[in-house]
Amino acid sequence: MQGTFTHLRQLLLASMACVLGAAMLNYLVDPLQLFRPSRLALYSDDTRVQNAGLIRSQSFDTVFMGTSLAIHFRQSNIDRALGVHSLKLAMTGSNSRQQSFVLEQAVDRGAKRVIWEMDDFIFVDAPDIEADPYLSVDLYRRTTKGIASYLFSAAMAKESLFTLLRSVPPLRQKLTQAAPYLPVTFALSDVDDIYALPRDFDIGRDYNTKKTLAAFTYITAPPRRRFLGEGYGYEAMIRHFEQDAMGLIARHPDVTFDIYFPPYSILQFVAMRDASPATLKIVVDLTAVIAQRLTQLPNVRLHDFRAIRAVTHDLANYGDVIHHSPVVDAKVLSWLASGEYRVDPNKPLASLDELKAQVEAYRVPQP
Amino acid sequence: MLFNSYPFILLFLPVVLAGYFWLGRRSNLVPVIWLALASLAFYAIGNWQFVALLLISIAFNYGVGHLLIVAKLGLTQRKAALALGVAGDLVVLGIFKYASFATENINALFGTHFAVHILLPVGISFYTFTQIAFLVDAYRGQVAAYALPHYVLFVTYFPHLIAGPILHHKDMIPQFERKETKHPDAHLILCGVIIFAIGLFKKTCLADGIQPLVALAFEARSPSFDQAWLGALAYTFQLYFDFSGYSDMAIGISLTFGIFLPVNFNSPYKATSIVDFWRRWHMTLSQFLRDYLYIPLGGNRHGRLLRYVNLMITMLLGGLWHGAAWTFVAWGALHGAYLCVNHAFNALAPKIPSVLARPARIAGALLTFLAVVVAWVFFRAVSVAWALRVLHAMVDPSNIVFGREEIAALVLIAVYAALVWLAPNTQAIMGYDHGNRRVGETLRAGRMRPLLLYGASLVLAFGILGIQSHSEFIYFRF
Repeated sequence: MQGTFTHLRQLLLASMACVLGAAMLNYLVDPLQLFRPSRLALYSDDTRVQNAGLIRSQSFDTVFMGTSLAIHFRQSNIDRALGVHSLKLAMTGSNSRQQSFVLEQAVDRGAKRVIWEMDDFIFVDAPDIEADPYLSVDLYRRTTKGIASYLFSAAMAKESLFTLLRSVPPLRQKLTQAAPYLPVTFALSDVDDIYALPRDFDIGRDYNTKKTLAAFTYITAPPRRRFLGEGYGYEAMIRHFEQDAMGLIARHPDVTFDIYFPPYSILQFVAMRDASPATLKIVVDLTAVIAQRLTQLPNVRLHDFRAIRAVTHDLANYGDVIHHSPVVDAKVLSWLASGEYRVDPNKPLASLDELKAQVEAYRVPQP
Repeated sequence: MLFNSYPFILLFLPVVLAGYFWLGRRSNLVPVIWLALASLAFYAIGNWQFVALLLISIAFNYGVGHLLIVAKLGLTQRKAALALGVAGDLVVLGIFKYASFATENINALFGTHFAVHILLPVGISFYTFTQIAFLVDAYRGQVAAYALPHYVLFVTYFPHLIAGPILHHKDMIPQFERKETKHPDAHLILCGVIIFAIGLFKKTCLADGIQPLVALAFEARSPSFDQAWLGALAYTFQLYFDFSGYSDMAIGISLTFGIFLPVNFNSPYKATSIVDFWRRWHMTLSQFLRDYLYIPLGGNRHGRLLRYVNLMITMLLGGLWHGAAWTFVAWGALHGAYLCVNHAFNALAPKIPSVLARPARIAGALLTFLAVVVAWVFFRAVSVAWALRVLHAMVDPSNIVFGREEIAALVLIAVYAALVWLAPNTQAIMGYDHGNRRVGETLRAGRMRPLLLYGASLVLAFGILGIQSHSEFIYFRF
């Protein structure tokens, strides 16, 4: 009997040793670069987690924020087009609370300029950032809880082990090449590649008129059209805009905010026009308020790309009704650099009025 | 409360264990009451609003059971008491589990707009079935009178309360009555901790680890051929490791109290036929459905055709037991059809020559696995239409993506497949013999002890490190 209790003790002690060993490994390798930058680090597409490390480990003067509409930009392209030293922090499906929180962390770490791809739908009602299950504020703030959840993690231990293996010179090249095809999260060797499309990406296959029209048909089909307005509520969206965007901007008057409404395909608004007019009204009213409010702030430059007919009416530019191709990404950067579509503070609703006229007049191409 | 949570592992379980054995020095009954109270506390944490329902259900079934066992009733009265008990259970289950589903269908059929919003009490399907079995056996005269604390513990026993295994009173209550279980047995505790560690690892590292891949098929608007297959396979493995992980944890926890729970999984994906699959998957449910539904319906005693009808009824109801949705009905119907085909094949096909036995078994295993994966698509999908969309993608090889993400997913799927097909299962590793109440004889004899101990310590460590903030078991929602 005594012997078996000894075995139980051995098992529990050995387990504790393993747990501490894994935590030590995570601390030393630090895959997220939360404690120290590393030349050998790999990067992950899990941006809500990865951003916590990027903000700590990278040097930057400009940050780039947005949703999936901004996810494929390369930092190198942003730097070249705008003459800045940027850090991309865009997160797919993110809401304004998450974006504002991450931006605040980046500004606190020295960002002097923010480029913010602002969708209307980021302002839908969502949990408070402190209770957000998808973004750990503790990790960003490096609280005891955040650091413990990072160090005492089997998933992170797996990543640490892989990073460690990859640092062995004879394995380095092979594992670096194989990493993107292995079930590891930290697989990218260049920070520029985070969520970027491969350089040999076949644009025509993923972005074309056929796909865009198919997406339009899908979202406007009677059983699914209610989803067009899901979560949209004017009062709540205004409240979140005031808290998350205006609040952040007001707290940092020394930071320049280049905010842009992205060039969705015209079908995004036409879908609302045909299948959910109430949602279109909310979008129009909300963005009118946003334009009026933002253009009054001295540290904000608002750009509206939604009414650029040459792009938004060419459905070959899109993979669905909103996501545009990397070709349009490049145009967005050039428009930001030139200020060509900057909203005039004296006529904040001019581009919106133009968009409304376009939406009203547009006829969907029949197959 | 979740088994895969720090409060459970570091606080609840040690306190309940310590209290159980401390009280066990003084009495044979008080530890049973302690364990029953601890089980109710376990249930109440997170489900407090359903504790009253659980207690009412226990009181009702114990009362009816008492009538059947103790009172001198005539045959008609006994039948009436049984009917009352079973109907009462099914009415409660129907209201809480199926009312919304029924209302939705009535609305769809008649264009009405009735609305029913009833929360599903966690574990209701499990404790209802457990007690129906008790009532039926009481009616058959196969039950001795049980003391109330033992009966309450039998229903609420926290290792099984929420997601099984479905326990049988004849198996459990005699164990609760034994004095020996109230004294700590170091060997059983050691084996229990190891089995728990394996289950925890299965859940937190394996099931939760592959879960993101499921989205490839089930959250994409139009998955490609490879994405649909990868997602369906990912779910196939996730469900197995999730549920068998839970069952292992339940067995392990119970073993630390000296109580043997029945085995619920026996490497189901190694099955060589669908009949074999159902002897290996969720075994306690299969046994329940066989003993209390299929055989009472007539089983195979009234000819081949009625046997198939009984099989279909059993599997349809088995599907519906899992959840109130047409997807579960479709899943049950598919498995019913599979079983009918399997039995018909066994009856009609000529005997396979011995030289072809091995290839036939391999072909049977592959075909069975394929059939099971197809059925899981219905089990997982949010609607029948969505399931058909995934299945359509699975038979359309003209649309293949096979990019970076899909290749990485394929590597992970291959690792899981190797684990499922090549690794021994938990009871084989631990020599767990529920029937003979034996476990870990190899460990006791000292053979392979260091390997098992240090392997288990690693598995336990990674199981603990894999705990995420909140990761429920899939079967909690049934």
